[in-house]
This record gives sequence, C-alpha cells and structure tokens, in this order.
Amino acid sequence: MKTNGNLYKPLKSELIKVIDESPLIKTFVLVPEQDFSFATGQFIEVTIDGMGEAPFTPSSSPLKSDQLEVTVMKTGYVTDHMHTMKPGDKMGIRGPFGRGYPLENFHDKEVLILGGGCGFAPIRSLLYNLIAIADKLRKVTLCYGSKTPEDCVYKPYIQELRDTPKFEVLRSVDQPDENWTERVGVVTVLLDEVTMDISNSIAVVCGPPVMMKFGTLRLLEMGYPENDIYLSMEKNMSCGLGKCGHCMMGKYLVCKDGPVFTYDEVKDQPHIWN
Amino acid sequence: MNRVAIPKREWDERLIHLLSSFDVFAPVENEFSSDYLKLDEEAISHIVYNKPKPVTPLKNFFLPVKENVTIEGIPTKPVAIIGTPNCDVMALLFLDQIYLDNEYPDPAYGKRRENSTLLSTDCLSIQEHCHCTSYGIEPKGNESSDISLALIEDQVILSVFSKKGEKFIEAMGIYVTLTPEKSLLDRLHELQENVKEQLLERNKGLPDYKQTGKLVSTAADPIWEKYASDCVSCGACSAICPTCSCFLLIDKPGFEKIRQLDTCQYPGFERVAGGEDALHALSERFRNRYMCKYVWKPQKYEQKACTGCGRCIETCIGQINKNELFIELSN
Ligand SMILES: Cc1cc2nc3c(=O)[nH]c(=O)nc-3n(C[C@H](O)[C@H](O)[C@H](O)COP(=O)(O)OP(=O)(O)OC[C@H]3O[C@@H](n4cnc5c(N)ncnc54)[C@H](O)[C@@H]3O)c2cc1C
Ligand code: SF4
Ligand code: SF4
Ligand code: FES
Repeated sequence: MKTNGNLYKPLKSELIKVIDESPLIKTFVLVPEQDFSFATGQFIEVTIDGMGEAPFTPSSSPLKSDQLEVTVMKTGYVTDHMHTMKPGDKMGIRGPFGRGYPLENFHDKEVLILGGGCGFAPIRSLLYNLIAIADKLRKVTLCYGSKTPEDCVYKPYIQELRDTPKFEVLRSVDQPDENWTERVGVVTVLLDEVTMDISNSIAVVCGPPVMMKFGTLRLLEMGYPENDIYLSMEKNMSCGLGKCGHCMMGKYLVCKDGPVFTYDEVKDQPHIWN
Repeated sequence: MNRVAIPKREWDERLIHLLSSFDVFAPVENEFSSDYLKLDEEAISHIVYNKPKPVTPLKNFFLPVKENVTIEGIPTKPVAIIGTPNCDVMALLFLDQIYLDNEYPDPAYGKRRENSTLLSTDCLSIQEHCHCTSYGIEPKGNESSDISLALIEDQVILSVFSKKGEKFIEAMGIYVTLTPEKSLLDRLHELQENVKEQLLERNKGLPDYKQTGKLVSTAADPIWEKYASDCVSCGACSAICPTCSCFLLIDKPGFEKIRQLDTCQYPGFERVAGGEDALHALSERFRNRYMCKYVWKPQKYEQKACTGCGRCIETCIGQINKNELFIELSN
C-alpha cells in the first residue's frame, strides 16, 4: 500500500498503548486511520508532528493490518520525544518502504537469527511471520544478545517462543546480574553452541553495526555462504523513496534497494558497518 | 522531426501573444552572465540565443530549493522554457530516472515536467569551463527536448521533436510549411561543428566519462585531502549542479513536510543515531561527491551524472577545479 496517494504525506495514526520494554526501549502500539500492511523487513517512517521523522521497522506481525507496533530505543531528538508520548497522542506514518526478507528462500531451511539491542524489533515481526509458516521450515534458532538482563526486550514473548515447536532461543548478556542463568558475553558466543546444518540453512543478522559486523564475520567463518546471510542495514534516511540520497551506500539506496540485503550484495560497498 | 524557420522579428511578436497562455522563461543577459527570467513584453527583445548555460541549472524549475510537498499547489498554466543548453536537458533526463521511477514517481516533479515545454538551444559559442563533449554530450539540441532552437542570420530555426513541441508551435501560430533554406541549415551545421571542435581542443587531455570512474575509485587519500583543503563545505558546487538533487524533509506542524535541497558536502548528511558519521571528515565528504557522480550513479543509472557543464568549477570559492583534479589523476 502506498501512503495516502501523496508519498510525502503521513497517514495519521493514534497511539493506543505504550509498553515499557527496558529503561531505554518502549513499544508503541499505533492504529492508523486506514488499514496499513507491510511485509516483514520493510520499514516505515514515523512522523512526530512538527518535530521530525525517523525510520523504524515495525515489530508487530505483518499479518495484521489494523494496528502496528514499533519498538523504539531512546537515542536522540525524535526518539527522546517519542518516549514522552502518551496513549491518545497522534503520530504519522509513511510507507511501507523497501525490500523485506524473501521468505520463499527460507523454505525447507534451518533459520539462524542473530540479533542484538534494538535489532530485536524487526526480528520479532520476522518471527511472527516464521511461526505462521513453521510447517515449511526445518527449525528456527534465535541468538539474542543484550548489555544487561534489564535490557532484554519482549520478556513474555521469549517464553512463548521457547514453548513453540521448532523454535529455540539462546540468550546472552554482556553484564549479568545475580539472577542471570543464561550465557554471558557478546552475542557471537552463542554461535559456539548452535548446531545448524549449514548447507541447509540461512542466517539473518540484525542489530547495532558492531554486532552486525562481528556476527557476519563469525557466520562466514562457520561456513555460511555470502548469499545466505541476510543483513538489515541501517543508514541515515529522510525520504524512504530512493530520492533524497541520504541512505546511499555505494551503488545502493538502502531505503529502496534494501534495507534487507545479502552479505554478498553489499560486501564491496563502502561503509557497510558505518 | 519538423524544421521551421521564421524571421526573428516575427518570432518576437508571436512570443508576445504566447504570454497570455504560457508562462515563458528564457535567459536574459545581465552584467556578468545570463540567467532565466520570466518573460514580459519588454524582456523578449533581451533574450540571449545560442549561448551556453544560464547561471541557474534547469533542475530548479522542477525541484525548487524549498517547497512544501504535503500540500497540492502546482500551478496548471503551461510553462515554456526557452534557451536551455543540451547539457542541462541531459541532466534533466538523469533526474527523471530518480524522480519519475516506476515505483514512486514524484507527484510535484511529474506535474511540472508534464506542464513544461522545453526549447533547447544550440550552443554556438563556448564558455571557459564547458566540457560536455568530454563526457559524450553534444552542444546542440536534440530529441530529448521538445523543440531545439537556433538563431542565425536573423532567422529562428526550430526543430520540432515531440507532440508537445508541435502543440507549442501551433499555439504560436507558426506554419509548419516554413522550411528553412538549405544554405541556412548548412551554415548552422558548420557553426555547430566548429563549436564541437573548440570544445574538444580546449579539453584536450581531460579524461572522458569512461575513465573518470576508474580514476576516482582508485585515487589515494592524499589527493582528496589536498583538494579538500581548499573546500569550506559551502555546498555551492551541489546547489549549482544540474544533476545534484539530494534533499532533506523538514517537518512543520500539521504533519506538513518541506523538501529542501541538501548536499553530502554538509556535515551530518550521513550521521546516524548514536553519532556515527561515515562522512565526518571533510575530505571524505569531498571524495563522496566524486564517487557519487563518477562511480556509483553510473552503476545505477543509464544517464550520466555529470554533464560537463563546468558550473561547479565557476562557482567554487575555494577555486577548486575538478578538471585539474582529473588531469592530475590521469597523469
Ligand atoms: C531501516 C531502519 C530501521 C530501523 N528500525 C529501528 C527500530 O525498529 N527501532 C529503533 O529503535 N531504531 C530503528 N532504527 C534506527 C532509528 O531510525 C534511529 O534510532 C532514529 O532515526 C534516531 O532518531 P533521533 O532523532 O532520535 O536520533 P538523533 O541522533 O538525534 O538523530 C538522528 C538523525 O538526525 C539528524 N541529526 C541529529 N543531530 C544532528 C547533527 N548534530 N548534525 C547533523 N544531523 C543531525 C541526522 O539526520 C540523524 O540521522 C532504524 C533505522 C533504519 C534506517
Ligand atoms: S563549492 Fe567548492 S568550497 Fe563549496 S562545497 Fe563545493 S568544493 Fe567545497
Ligand atoms: S559536477 Fe560540475 S560539471 Fe558536472 S554536471 Fe555538476 S556542476 Fe556540471
Ligand atoms: S531515504 Fe531518501 S533515498 Fe533513501
């Protein structure tokens, strides 16, 4: 669906619920004035009236079109303001933009997902979608890292996933507290524990640039082919339409040619890890 | 293609009549150069013909420096732009690839494009920094515009290429039977060839568009640092460039958005949350503009991202001359 006919005009949406995920992360549940659908991995531009706009990948199920959720880390001008907003407030949304995950390539495969920090937001939407097509997949292993146990998002959802057949969740934190019983260390330590049939597997990486970089390098070491590693790239963005030039990454405009790329597609482009 | 010739005096009279149904723009000479002016009766006699580029690039007719893109307000009166050199028309074709792509055609740009008739001009003289021929662009009008136009021996020769061009000729009340004399066309051809030779001669030694990409992508850091040391990030090179069209959306209350032309030459263009900025160093930004025009855009688009108009050289307050840079790279 294209936004309102005019590509630049946001679709007004009501904020109906704010969920505190961690001290720096909140999920915003939005009800757009019109049905709004997206494919998993695509992103939207969220407008805070008169203040600014920022790109986010919805964290809700792509199978739902009457409401959508974005999970937002507080990190600067627009996101700080979002964190002060209350149910009843209005936001604008434009999109959906870009190329999402090509799920047909996941069929009959084992899926390894590597996520960190707010990279879990897009992954959650992907997981909703993978659950819906679970009969076509062999298994799904999620490796998720965060700084501290407090920073782990979607706590109830993790349990739900662990209870879902074919789905497995491994977690690590950099700095544990006394109650933490899972792994300690950066997220790549979890890869030592996974048992994947690599020749029949694809990998998805989403998270902060450093994590994406070291995660990808580790996956290559493990033997994942370059075109079986899917990355969700983050760049400065303004229009989302492949016009403003802000998201240029070599010959690609990330907003339109991505944000999901295989490592093979982007490996020769400049500044892929920023 | 249809060719028509009419005496200059008659052309001027017909232009006056046209003003009631068209907004007509054409370059008019000022103290230092020539630039587009919206014509009134008085200005018609001051139009300059057959001259290289006006100061303002053609893009600004279609992408204003600043505009509200969330309100609908594109005027519907037809526009005619007279006297655009071919380099600028080629630059517009380049912008069409971005702004009129299949997926997200830009409404305002599209409407203006539809609404405008382009009358390109043959350049019958050259300016100091013109180097279109080095990049495979001819200094004369062609079918990429609606009509091309040349003034010689007091005759205006019009070559009509498109339906829109035909409509324009009709609106002017010009009879298509007024075919130009062969001797006049021969004379025009001679002048065109002469200009081409002058351009080639002046730009001898300048690498062509097939070589520029390789030269830019393999150039070592010191050369970028050297040239960038005279750059003050003013962004004039991009503002004046007919193919630079990056922008920023600025929010206004009421969910309105202003599209303002922007450039990678300004700090923060690629800054992301958390403060990381791949183009933080000025020399990186400077290099980025060259990579964009000569390496990345050519991999993505068919039309050329630099037309060799030379405006960026003329405008730079640091007196940075990209042609000197290319010659240095090729040595
Ligand atoms: C495809 C995509 C999906 C994303 N998905 C998510 C998600 O699901 N959840 C999430 O939390 N985040 C996500 N992000 C990241 C998110 O978009 C950023 O965190 C957000 O844009 C930050 O905006 P801000 O205004 O709060 O931050 P700031 O750091 O204040 O500003 C960021 C932007 O403002 C401009 N800016 C601010 N200050 C300056 C300055 N001094 N000079 C120049 N420019 C400046 C820059 O353009 C910069 O890009 C995603 C990003 C992309 C590209
Ligand atoms: S015009 Fe010259 S000084 Fe200004 S940004 Fe361009 S190169 Fe730098
Ligand atoms: S880079 Fe310079 S010469 Fe090339 S089109 Fe732009 S202004 Fe003209
Ligand atoms: S965000 Fe504008 S071109 Fe990608």
